[in-house]
Amino acid sequence: MKKRIMTSLAAIIATCVLITGCGTSSGNVNEDQGGNTSNEPQTGASTDAQVTIRVALNKGEVSDDEVTEFETNNPGIKIKLEELNPQKLAAQIATNDAPDLIRAQGAVDLTSYVVKGLAMDLTPYLQKSEMLKEDDFLPPVNLFRFDGKVQGQGPLYGMPKDWSPDFTIFYNKTLFDAAGVQVPDSKSPLTWNELMELGKKLTLKEDGKVKQYGLALGSKTQADLPSIMDYLASKDVKVFSEDMKTADFTKPEVKEAVSMWVDAVKNNLGKNDVNQDPATWGGDLFMNNKAAMIMAGYWFSGMIRGDEKMKTHLNDFGMLPAPIAENGNLVSPTGAATGFIISKNTKNPDQAWKVFEYIMAGTPAKNRASGGWGVPALKSLIPLMPQETDFDKRVYNQLQEELKYSNVPLESNPFLLNGQTLLDKYVTPVYFGKADLDDALNELTKNMNLIIQENMNAIQ
Amino acid sequence: MMLQTKKWRQYGTFYAFVSPWLIIFITLGVFPLLYGLYLSFTNYTGFNMDKLKFVGFNNYKTVFEDSESIYALGRTLLVTAINVPLSLAIGLFLAILLNLKIKGLSWYRTAFYMPSVVPVVSTVLMWKFIFSGEGLLNTFFNRLHLPQVSWLGYEYATTALIVMLLWGAGSSLLINLAGLKGIPADLYEAAEIDGASPIRKFFTVTLPLMTHVLFLNLIMGSIASLQMYIQPILLTGKTLLDPPIKPNYLYLVHAFQQIFAFQRFGYGLALMWVLFIAILLLTILVFYSSRYWVYYETEQEV
Repeated sequence: MKKRIMTSLAAIIATCVLITGCGTSSGNVNEDQGGNTSNEPQTGASTDAQVTIRVALNKGEVSDDEVTEFETNNPGIKIKLEELNPQKLAAQIATNDAPDLIRAQGAVDLTSYVVKGLAMDLTPYLQKSEMLKEDDFLPPVNLFRFDGKVQGQGPLYGMPKDWSPDFTIFYNKTLFDAAGVQVPDSKSPLTWNELMELGKKLTLKEDGKVKQYGLALGSKTQADLPSIMDYLASKDVKVFSEDMKTADFTKPEVKEAVSMWVDAVKNNLGKNDVNQDPATWGGDLFMNNKAAMIMAGYWFSGMIRGDEKMKTHLNDFGMLPAPIAENGNLVSPTGAATGFIISKNTKNPDQAWKVFEYIMAGTPAKNRASGGWGVPALKSLIPLMPQETDFDKRVYNQLQEELKYSNVPLESNPFLLNGQTLLDKYVTPVYFGKADLDDALNELTKNMNLIIQENMNAIQ
Repeated sequence: MMLQTKKWRQYGTFYAFVSPWLIIFITLGVFPLLYGLYLSFTNYTGFNMDKLKFVGFNNYKTVFEDSESIYALGRTLLVTAINVPLSLAIGLFLAILLNLKIKGLSWYRTAFYMPSVVPVVSTVLMWKFIFSGEGLLNTFFNRLHLPQVSWLGYEYATTALIVMLLWGAGSSLLINLAGLKGIPADLYEAAEIDGASPIRKFFTVTLPLMTHVLFLNLIMGSIASLQMYIQPILLTGKTLLDPPIKPNYLYLVHAFQQIFAFQRFGYGLALMWVLFIAILLLTILVFYSSRYWVYYETEQEV
């Protein structure tokens, strides 16, 4: 009998050990600061407690050196960089475990974070800030303002770390020469139709295989929501109702824009769902001399400038203005304005703000500006932008032209995230000739409205 | 009385010993499952926990009214109906080949089992390079002056997916081999004395005595096939939120998209529960049918 009790006890103890064992080991992984964690409670009791600020971003957006610099100057605050992953972030938000600083795009998801009550109002911090001054802001910072109805007005919820007019076009003259095509004049913008025609001429085939593509896009050269919204901005057409409750993608102008991309797929202007080119992204094609043009913001000049092979003949590269719609307005908006918000649920708002200031105006901001990775969000950083080589100067001057027309915000709806995923789902069958474009746009509209409705209900 | 306490003590010991599993099963298995069931009746969208609304069977109604989920379920059943029997047949065939006392057996065994060890992401990437527009397969076709085929396009994407899945058919190899080794040699000897041909031997000795292994593989394979999502997504997409081409838009892909791309947690969980019930029914059906075709040497009930 004693034996039996002992075995039972042993089993229970084994269980406890197993469970706690799992617990501590996974705990350590989360802390990531290795050996420090076990000592922390003791030291924390006597001196100021260490605070860890978690920052969700894309790899490389803040470097380890910058983190070290911040931590040395701000004892008591540690920065933990977390690679942003949409699935993980959704789960973290759902379990109230969101990072303190979250990468957000002013032109894409800022309003959605605000209506969900996930973004902290930064206005009180801004008023007291030494590093960030409102009169130093460039207009795109306003994309992070939202009063619940109109983007660009109201409290400030974040800031872009950098931005670009995103629809400008970089060209590679060697590939223009190969196709016997002249590089267009950069003084006046092409129309979208002219751009597509140019792309066709630049697409060269050999034995039925594509030798060089005409026009690459960030991802695939097919219906891309930001560029469709850009087309609509140039046409001055709105697809979302004023109360944000409905979307209408059946408008003729939407059809014009989408059919342009359907043709681009037919003509193989770039990597697409039909040709399944294994290049990881459009930039890959351009950097490997496989695409004559790429539609990308000023930040892309950083890629060219930094590439060992391209560096040697920078005169072959340059930037063209963003295209406009036929008879459309001159617009060169940003499609992203990537930056950060601070989570409303952060436990350490003061420390999170310090990290925010550092990323927006400290060493990381200066490094970004001088590297030419996008236009800074602060006027005071503009002089740091590269203007050494002839390439730098040409791109910089072209950028100044674009900035005159960059104040048009692209339309977005706070209740509709991942519109691109929906667009892909309904338009891809059209590329394969399996669906009619009108039907696809009807279905798209129907499903967008369903999701908008559900998301509106969820917060009421 | 004495007997009773002894019995209780035995129960106590039993539960003490299974307690590690039991505790983990309840906290990490049963609880999340029921919590998910609860959320599927709400309008949860990932951030509105404090304003949660009960929506009754609305999410379930959407599952059946939504043309996409039914389409996706149809495609999933089709892929399963092709994939599972074929991989069972290939797995058994390979096992029989390897059971012939050939040289280098362990080498072949490793080679055929390898695909099951390779992480699924690498597998998909590899096949993507084989199937892509100017990939290995089309280059090969080109050499033979055969027309180029859009393997990941509309017509062939599902075929490509199934070919990729069948590459992993060796996963049932080890268990099949074990089953084959368990067949008593005297049965084959008796069959030989009766003058049975090899084909006859296969159908009257090997196959009946392998049915319990096939049964296990059938159940496991069907469940895995119905729950597949990462292979179709990555075969044509780059990130997990890319919708696969329509013919490969399988049921769990749909659920994954609804939850992670559109934060429709409630609806997504309803989709999961419908799938769970479908799998449960299918499994019960297979179990029920097994008494007609599965042969156990020891006369035990399933």
